[in-house]
Amino acid sequence: MIKRFYWCVERALLFMISSIILFPILWMFLTAFKLPRDAYSISIIFTPTLNNFLTVFAEPWNLGSMVMNSVIVAGTTVLIAVPCASLAAYSFSRFRVRGRKFLFFLILSTQFIPAVVIVLPFFLMFRDLGLLDTRFALIIVNLAIVTPFVTWMIKGFIDAIPSDSEEAAMIDGASRLRVIRDIVLPMAMPGILTSSIFCFILTWNEFLFALILTRRDAVTLPIGLVSFRTEHGDLWELMSAAGVMITVPIFIMALLIQKHFTRGMTAGAVK
Amino acid sequence: MSEVQLVDIEKRYGTFIAVQKQSLTIHNGEFLVLLGPSGCGKTTILRMIAGLEEITSGDILIANDRVNDKPPKDRDIAMVFQNYGLYPHMTVQQNITYPLKLSGVNRDARDARVKEIANKVELSPLLKRRPSELSGGQRQRVALARAIVRTPKIFLMDEPLSNLDAKLRGTMRAELKHLHHELGATTVYVTHDQMEAMTLASRIAVMDEGRIVQLDTPKKIYSEPANIFVAGFIGSPPMNLIEGKVSNGSFIAPGIKIPISIGNQKNVILGIRPEDIELSDASDSEISGQIYAMELTGDATLITLRNGTSSICARGPADYEAQINAACQLTLRSGARIHLFDKTTGQRLRYKSLTNLLYRKNK
Repeated sequence: MIKRFYWCVERALLFMISSIILFPILWMFLTAFKLPRDAYSISIIFTPTLNNFLTVFAEPWNLGSMVMNSVIVAGTTVLIAVPCASLAAYSFSRFRVRGRKFLFFLILSTQFIPAVVIVLPFFLMFRDLGLLDTRFALIIVNLAIVTPFVTWMIKGFIDAIPSDSEEAAMIDGASRLRVIRDIVLPMAMPGILTSSIFCFILTWNEFLFALILTRRDAVTLPIGLVSFRTEHGDLWELMSAAGVMITVPIFIMALLIQKHFTRGMTAGAVK
Repeated sequence: MSEVQLVDIEKRYGTFIAVQKQSLTIHNGEFLVLLGPSGCGKTTILRMIAGLEEITSGDILIANDRVNDKPPKDRDIAMVFQNYGLYPHMTVQQNITYPLKLSGVNRDARDARVKEIANKVELSPLLKRRPSELSGGQRQRVALARAIVRTPKIFLMDEPLSNLDAKLRGTMRAELKHLHHELGATTVYVTHDQMEAMTLASRIAVMDEGRIVQLDTPKKIYSEPANIFVAGFIGSPPMNLIEGKVSNGSFIAPGIKIPISIGNQKNVILGIRPEDIELSDASDSEISGQIYAMELTGDATLITLRNGTSSICARGPADYEAQINAACQLTLRSGARIHLFDKTTGQRLRYKSLTNLLYRKNK
């Protein structure tokens, strides 16, 4: 009886919490398909339209170029950060170098600095280099933010791989690089993919630096969203449509990668 | 020739000495077992031979070639790990062929060789599976197959049977022994299981606290343990070790008086194996006390006797029956081996030229 009561309370709490979390997302998805006149109503019954999606890609919003910028910036960042971070993570995980702990702490400590504090120096630096409002600048900044984090994440995954298989490969005749290619990378792949997704999401959603460092040419999606706050008021339905455009790729990617999350990483290596 | 020579090798981790400075030669074709409790440095020695662990000082020679600075891949060795170290993302076939792939053997030759090896270790039907789909014994055989697929100079095995259940361990032990007979390859085998060591080894190196305390054939190790540690480590049930003294031609301890042809000694430890002791009816037997415990092993009963501070175990007949705490008399079998050790140094005492004191029954 009491057990059943607790079960009910538990479910009720879970339901409440997930409603609070999910409501804004649901609201965004619904609003994206609403006409401007329905945007402020909370009714879930309305005349749906796809017009918002057409509008945001047309002048003056030009969401297309922002999507392009976001894809290029996030994609390039992942492609550079993840391989670098993987090698760094492997080294931190396997080699016993003097001062290794301190170095690793140093890498992590870059994450303690609030972005707001360093955004101005970055701005000045890129201004002097003539790189303001370029994708290149955004990629550099994102790499600086994301690489330490991904290194730390991948190190966790590599730490979990038993060194037995690696040592076996070395004895079987493989060089260190060959061991990394043939043994470590395939075994760490679920972790590396997970980290890549995180890396992509972080870069994709990055707001502050993109806001300060871009103006017209290199504007990314999150900054694009702000432009829907106009002198005519906030264009919620357009902002929601753009929001859906931002959310859906990430959502699809998470779904595709999901099987890697669940698959046992090292099943069968030992015992 | 694939002789392994360890010359004055030493391994330290900071101030901790894992392996004390010592030398060891493993002969060509020999099956050498490094035996000792955990933490005695046996695995460290194996890993130093493999090149997975750097040596602090000394030299390692494989087939007269100094390999100190060679990475594992250039040492021409094969190793079976305690946890097998299989490649979980590869099939059994890929696991076994990996060493051949690395040494540049072409695909056809590789496939042929894998078939041959898989037959030998009875893995043929499982070649397409992954390690996660295999049982412990099957994984063990994959690890073994991967080691023997090449013909390396030396085989290194790090407790390869310790993760198997008792029955399978027995079977695999016999297979390893047969395999060694067939391949005749120099093998270094690490274990803490004295039974494995006794059955497999050509020679056993018993290790304690980073040092080889005795290096000899299994027979010699069993019949002439060099010190108390070896005496207590080898044999199941373990040798009885009783503190006492020798005076007037007898070893004396509470409830024990064994005639011995050795001069007076104050602090000695007498070693005698349970199978060298039998039950006696005589009231003036060498050993007397109360029965403390009886354990039936199937083919025998282990009888533990207590008298004051002494405790002694004997192997009696399987049908022996008695009450706990009943008085009991034990005597030594004719030809029983008596081992004497110095209590302070733990070393075996040798009297004159005799290596063993053999017990002779009085008329």
